[in-house]
Amino acid sequence: MAKPVLRKPKKKVSPLKSVKLEGAVDYKDTVLLRKFISDRGKIRARRVTGVSVQDQRKIARAVKNAREMALLPYSSSAR
Amino acid sequence: MRQYELMLILDPEVDERTVAPSLDKFLSVITTGGGSVDKVDIWGKRRLAFEISKKAEGIYAVVNMTATPALAQELDRQLGLNEAILRTKLLRPDAH
Repeated sequence: MAKPVLRKPKKKVSPLKSVKLEGAVDYKDTVLLRKFISDRGKIRARRVTGVSVQDQRKIARAVKNAREMALLPYSSSAR
Repeated sequence: MRQYELMLILDPEVDERTVAPSLDKFLSVITTGGGSVDKVDIWGKRRLAFEISKKAEGIYAVVNMTATPALAQELDRQLGLNEAILRTKLLRPDAH
C-alpha cells in the first residue's frame, strides 16, 4: 500500500496583503484601486487579492464609483 | 447639515482660468442657503478612462461642503443642467 499523500496545509499568502486598508477606501485613490483590478479592468476576486469580505466590498464599491467618474475603465480594449 | 463631497467633470474646452469663478457661482446656492463650502480642489485637465460625449479629456474638480440634503440635491440638479459639465457625483464621505 502506498503511503497516503499528506496534503500540505494551504499557505496563507496573498500577493496584495501587503496593502494596508484603513477605514474607508477612497474612490479617488486610483493608484490603490489599480492594484485590485486586472489588466482588462475587471475587479480581482477575493481569492486572488486575499482581502477580507468587508474590505472587498469597500474596494468593489470604490472601483465602481471611480468607473462612473471615468477614473478607471469599465473594460480595456485588449482582445 | 451633512458633509458632502461633490466631484465634477467639466468640458475640456472651457478655459481652465474660468473654472474657479464659474464654480463659485454654482456654489453660491450652498452659501446663500445656509451651508458652507469647506474645500474646492481643482485637479485640472485629466485623461478620461473612456470617452464621455466624444471627449477624451475633462477638467476635474472636487468640492467638500456642509449643507442640508435639499441644498445639495438642488446644486447637483443645477450642475446637471449645465452643458459645460460632463458629469457629477455627489456623495457623503462618512457614509462610505
